[in-house]
Amino acid sequence: MELVLSIAIGALGGSGVWLLLRPRTFQVIIGLTLLSYAVNLFILSMGRLKVDMAPILQKGEAGDIASYADPLPQALVLTAIVISFATTALFLVVLLASRGLTGTDHVDGREREW
Amino acid sequence: MSESALLPCLLSLPFIGSFVAAFFRNDARNAESWLAGLIAFAGLIIAIWLYPTIRADRLVVWQATWLPQYGLNFTLRLDGLAWAFTLLITGIGILIALYARYYMSPADPMPRFFSLLLAFMGAMLGIALSGNLIQIVFFWEITSVVSFLLIGYWHQNAAARDGARMALSLTAAGGLCLFSGVIVIGHIVGSYDLDIVLAAGDQIRSHPFYPVALVLVVIGALTKSAQFPFHFWLPQAMTAPTPVSAYLHSAAMVKAGVFLLVRLWPALGGTDYWLWLVGSAGLATFVFGAFLAIFQHDLKGLLAYSTISHLGLITLLIGLNRPLGLVAAVFHMLNHATFKASLFMAAGIIDHECGTRDIRRLSGLWHFMPITAVLAMVAAAAMAGVPLLNGFLSKEMFFAETIEVYDGSLIDAALPYIATIASTFTVAYSLRFIRDVFFGPAPKDLPRIPHEPPRWMRMPIDILVIICLVVGIVPAYTIGPILHVAVFSILGPATPDYSLAIWHGLNWPLLMSSLALLGGLVLYLLLRRYLQSERGEPNWVMQLNGRRFFDRALVTLSWRWASTAERILGTRRLQPQLVLVVLVSAAAALLALWPHDIFRLPSWPAMPDPVFAALWVVGIACAIGGASLAKFHRLAALILIGGAGLVTCITFVWLSAPDLALTQLVIEIVTLTLLLLGLRWLPKRASEQGESPPSLSTWLRRIRDFSIAIGTGAGLALLAYAGMTGPAPDTIAKEFLARAYLEGGGTNVVNVILVDFRGFDTFGEITVLGVVAITVYALLRRFRPAADSIEVPEQQRQQEALQADGKASDDYLAAPSAIMQLLFPFIAVVAAYFLLRGHDLPGGGFVGGTVMAIALLLQYIASGSRFVEANLRIRPLRWISLGLLTALCAGLGAFAFSRPFLTSAFSYADIPLIGAVPMASALVFDLGVFSLVVGTIALILIALAHQSIRSHRATGTPLQGESREEP
Amino acid sequence: MVIAWADHLAILPILLPLAAGAGLLLIEERHRALKAAISLATTLALAGIVTALFYRLEAVPQEVIVYRLAGWPAPFGIVLVVDRLTVLMLMLTSGLALASLIFSLVRWSRAGVHYLSLFQFLLMGLNGAFLTGDLFNLFVFFELLLAASYGLALHGSGIVRVRAGLHYIAINLAASLLFLIGVSLIYSATGTLNMADLAMRIPTLDAGDRMLMESGSAILGIAFLVKAGMWPLSFWLPTTYAAAAPPVAAMFAIMSKLGIYVILRLWLLLFGDAAGASSDFGGMALLAIGGATVLFGMIGILASQDLGRLTGFAVLISSGTILAVIAIGDADLTGPAIYYMISSTLAIGAMFMLIELIERGRDPGADMLAVTREAYGDDSEEDPLKMEEIGIAIPATITVLGLCFLSCALVLAGMPPLSGFIGKFAILSAAFSVPGQGQDAVPVTAFTWLLLALLMVSGIVTLMAMTRAGIRTLWIPQERTTPMVHLAEIAPIILLLAGCVALTVQADPVLRYMNAAASAAHSPADYVRGVLTDPETGAVRSPDSGGGP
Repeated sequence: MELVLSIAIGALGGSGVWLLLRPRTFQVIIGLTLLSYAVNLFILSMGRLKVDMAPILQKGEAGDIASYADPLPQALVLTAIVISFATTALFLVVLLASRGLTGTDHVDGREREW
Repeated sequence: MSESALLPCLLSLPFIGSFVAAFFRNDARNAESWLAGLIAFAGLIIAIWLYPTIRADRLVVWQATWLPQYGLNFTLRLDGLAWAFTLLITGIGILIALYARYYMSPADPMPRFFSLLLAFMGAMLGIALSGNLIQIVFFWEITSVVSFLLIGYWHQNAAARDGARMALSLTAAGGLCLFSGVIVIGHIVGSYDLDIVLAAGDQIRSHPFYPVALVLVVIGALTKSAQFPFHFWLPQAMTAPTPVSAYLHSAAMVKAGVFLLVRLWPALGGTDYWLWLVGSAGLATFVFGAFLAIFQHDLKGLLAYSTISHLGLITLLIGLNRPLGLVAAVFHMLNHATFKASLFMAAGIIDHECGTRDIRRLSGLWHFMPITAVLAMVAAAAMAGVPLLNGFLSKEMFFAETIEVYDGSLIDAALPYIATIASTFTVAYSLRFIRDVFFGPAPKDLPRIPHEPPRWMRMPIDILVIICLVVGIVPAYTIGPILHVAVFSILGPATPDYSLAIWHGLNWPLLMSSLALLGGLVLYLLLRRYLQSERGEPNWVMQLNGRRFFDRALVTLSWRWASTAERILGTRRLQPQLVLVVLVSAAAALLALWPHDIFRLPSWPAMPDPVFAALWVVGIACAIGGASLAKFHRLAALILIGGAGLVTCITFVWLSAPDLALTQLVIEIVTLTLLLLGLRWLPKRASEQGESPPSLSTWLRRIRDFSIAIGTGAGLALLAYAGMTGPAPDTIAKEFLARAYLEGGGTNVVNVILVDFRGFDTFGEITVLGVVAITVYALLRRFRPAADSIEVPEQQRQQEALQADGKASDDYLAAPSAIMQLLFPFIAVVAAYFLLRGHDLPGGGFVGGTVMAIALLLQYIASGSRFVEANLRIRPLRWISLGLLTALCAGLGAFAFSRPFLTSAFSYADIPLIGAVPMASALVFDLGVFSLVVGTIALILIALAHQSIRSHRATGTPLQGESREEP
Repeated sequence: MVIAWADHLAILPILLPLAAGAGLLLIEERHRALKAAISLATTLALAGIVTALFYRLEAVPQEVIVYRLAGWPAPFGIVLVVDRLTVLMLMLTSGLALASLIFSLVRWSRAGVHYLSLFQFLLMGLNGAFLTGDLFNLFVFFELLLAASYGLALHGSGIVRVRAGLHYIAINLAASLLFLIGVSLIYSATGTLNMADLAMRIPTLDAGDRMLMESGSAILGIAFLVKAGMWPLSFWLPTTYAAAAPPVAAMFAIMSKLGIYVILRLWLLLFGDAAGASSDFGGMALLAIGGATVLFGMIGILASQDLGRLTGFAVLISSGTILAVIAIGDADLTGPAIYYMISSTLAIGAMFMLIELIERGRDPGADMLAVTREAYGDDSEEDPLKMEEIGIAIPATITVLGLCFLSCALVLAGMPPLSGFIGKFAILSAAFSVPGQGQDAVPVTAFTWLLLALLMVSGIVTLMAMTRAGIRTLWIPQERTTPMVHLAEIAPIILLLAGCVALTVQADPVLRYMNAAASAAHSPADYVRGVLTDPETGAVRSPDSGGGP
């Protein structure tokens, strides 16, 4: 389980980084999306993995960490998801604006000479 | 009024005056010069007033606390030396003020000139009166800055600008050296207070850091006093108006350096380091300056080099480590100020009257301005060291000192001869000044016909020359007392007895003087023909012209090398920067791991669940596929990314995080839609075979990036694995589980955390959403599509073509749109349901809001932007703002019960059909979240989708930003 | 838990800008005067609140004011913590904000929509980041102020801004991801997010957890270094700052300092002397990076020809200097470093706004000639004997601008008589000697000498670069129409410089306060106790007592 997940995180992250370093704005934004998947999984995994222990209590119960998944990383991931959504949207619009103004979709706003 | 209270007045008067002077009218020459003159005069009076105290060898000290914790107090300390300098600064100041009145043309802007002049006077007094080393540095640098502005007074001339800049660069740099030196002294002594430092001479000289401190301080002094090898800024500074040259570059500023050396003599002097450092610099400057002075064709240039040489003489005297030498040095400082200032003024007058300062063009001025000529000649004679003039006396003392034996080294033995030779040069250039300018045939083709200057303009020179004479004839009664208090304040009881008589009988010094006079005469006669010719300095002199070297070095260093270095060490392109970010963070993580054994894997991996593994095989395939396709097949890439996202969702469910799964899912939908909307504006890109095969460098770059990607991926995986498998720490999460229901009033712990325990995070997070929405809106109002993506995409054109010839119905989406419009209310209900149940089951304001937004989205897909915008009921910005305010109020409610922000109260309300709903005040908060999310997503979607309509319109009309308030 | 009204002071710096920013959205753009009035009032109120906070902190017995959000005690609730360092940063922010706002109201706020809202949100983000005592909450506020800064950096649009903005955003998004990774690693190792709690737990970590925690902190540190604009992660900074609208750039001056602040706070809190095996973790690295940044800044400031970039590099020099000084890890040096930071931030802020006024009414090509002339052989032998010796009267406006420029240059170069000099002097004095303690009171190491050299050389380089630029823009005669400068545009600049003067005159009390702040930051026991004390029971929770009361 851990092994698979960490490999998955690595793969997502790796392909994300690869795209991040590409010259085309669209590749970069896709890369950022992949990276945010990787990071979200990463955060979640930092609370250790638990199966079928959703942190939803019975009424009147005082939950115990042994019998439930760690809720805190989940809360963090939720916030992270939202924020990365926002920033992705922003980046998208900026790259469109850049494409519109400069006429190219190169990250430097000008095609590279050579 | 107590005496010590006079010092702050003495110091502040010039600065006040400088401030006042700035507000006069541009042509207020008289008023300005009266102001400056009176202030200088007041200073002089104060100085004279304090003479009795000084005479009695008592210090006048005034102190104000400034920065006591670092041993810096604002201390004014008047001793004999400071007093003599005050006399010099104020006295010459008066004359300069008077002279400038006539020298400056009516068109010159007066306020700037006099305000700067007064500021300079103040700063100079500051140096003289400082009782704290740091404070000396403080005023020292101020003089540098002000002199920069004064030299650049006529800044429309390139020469003036360059001169000013060079002067500043050198003197300021020297000042920083002095600063460092003082800091080191502070370390040695443990105080910056002048009295303590002066008392701690032995302690300083015996300290290992002494050489460092000495070198730094001496460099400071040498730069300021234009000593070799830093002398070359002074001739450049001659582009300043002549009153400035007369004041700064003969009497006041250039004296600051030697003043400092005298000042610190008790603390730093008396060692071989001192002898060699100061002495040799002085000697070199003395000879070199005098020699170069001969070859100057510019009157002021000649005077500048002569100043350099005389200051060299003074420095040499200080460097000799002998009390009598010090006496001679101080004496010569005062004398030099008198004759050099008068000579500068004379040069100014000549320039003024003849319209040129070129010695080769001047001659025979004797007939036009006899009085000025006489004055100038007397002053020049004093400069040459002719008997019965003050210059002669100090020269004699100097010769006497050179004869003394110090360490018997070669230099020591040669000193008398070198001194004589240098004085020969001095005589030569003095002669040239007199002979070439005033005698000989009448000048030809001068710009103007010269005549005597106005009486008051000559007055300052009269006074100074008279001083030269009087001091030269009856020294003991005139300069004697001043010199005594000055010297005594430094040497105290160690003051040697010296005689200021003119006649010491036939002795070596007299012989040396007369030799120098004769030699000078001969030398001048020899060089005359050569000097008359058009040639300037001999070539080999040009070679060691420091100024050129300095310029070259500066230009090379600060332009060529700097810009090259910036190109090498920096970049303005994005990719290298991102590479760096990735690499540096990887390196950081690695370095942090290094000391520990990285490969200590906590536990051997358990056998993974095959289904989960299979799931991720798909997920990874999607990710990698997406990565490889993202360049040429954007749509495919998007779909694959969606796949990866889906797998992530499932993983969330698997790992018991239902809320995440839900949120991820809805966000997924919205994000992908946005990207789809964006695709339309990106350029068409032909696939591989279309473009030329990538070059080698491209391949190398790809290989590099690929390995970076692999590396970081592996690193991330390793970290994740280590984190997951490590023993779980005692985490604060247990608090949440324990309190979520009992104190937070919700069974869905994650949601309780989001709206209660860590509601503040959510609070910030939704603000981020709002901010982004605003930005997007602001940016898209100015959106202008690239030329090649304005026209309608071809699919749409085909469709329209088909519709045109009836092959396709014109609302080919009729069925879906009908359905989706029907769906709208249902989705809305679902959204509300998510919102309400959030506190207990997966869901909450955010999910609810997003679902609501998706409902809108569907309308778009179904009915097109025109329709929706036509009957869209919501105004997104309104929703955003209200959402934020609602959340804020939900939080502020707690204030009423004097509880901290966001404190929540809750109870359950039984609503039919839905059942018991947790009515936490957190619900209001969640409501705010809901409204904001709807607003934000709707705004972004609409703003993006709207562009297609606009740009179609734009194809017809010229592009401009829309003026509508809402998109 | 019941608290007094005055206790709410701690959170108002965050809530007030939010309310204003959200409220301003409701008002339509055409009601300019109203919007301007509201934002001005808010910013003034903010300054007032911060001042009140200052006195409040002096009034309370303990060293820190702690605000427990939603009434949950630390470590699992989010807390805001106010200590002297925080108050200083808040004051700096509000002062700078006031100046920048006034400046922008004259014309720049109209270059695009909702500028004033974004401005308020930026303030909210900054204040939040200064106040929060929780690592993840810090992330949220970082994102908030970054989002606002993206908006502001793009304010006015245009090809240059969008180009620069794209880079700025891309790099900072990457940095944010690093932030998340770092935080979650630290959480997985220590099980807490509260800074004070971290400080308590770190000494007790076992080897494995320590390894994770340290690598997490390293990654986190990179995220901050990017924000602080440290070499080699700083190339975006001059471009972005130069491209941004002047009042925005003025505000950005403090954003790079935020990075420094966070490093200072966290480094001293987590890796101070009390951190056991991890104490002084990464100190050398910070020192080296700081030094490298100063060097790069010097190169850049010499190489840059337009004033915007030049000032951008001045930002690098000042940030680098501060980081290097702080990284030496001596409380006596940190106080002066804070002083230096504040004075240089004020000057840089003033500078960015000043540039626009100076460049106004000048054609950009005008100084190319000067540039080439300087770049290719400076020996244009204009014969000093043939000079035109009539001064040209300078219009009052230019005079004032020139004086302001000179003052900025003096502060940035650390020359007398302004606060830059005092800052450098205090740093060096503290590094070399403790006055009154006599000979060799302080051991002088190689670092001390390096520090001396660094400060001096950077000073002279800055001075030379700025005089060159100043001469080029203000002294070389050229057809320039005297710029129409509104009083409300020059006033904020003078306000900021007046701040520098005040720092100089009142150097002693100011530095005392900063030294107090520094020593508190260096020995965070009070901070930790203040945060972890349970308001009801008054008991301090220790890491082993786990669950708390």
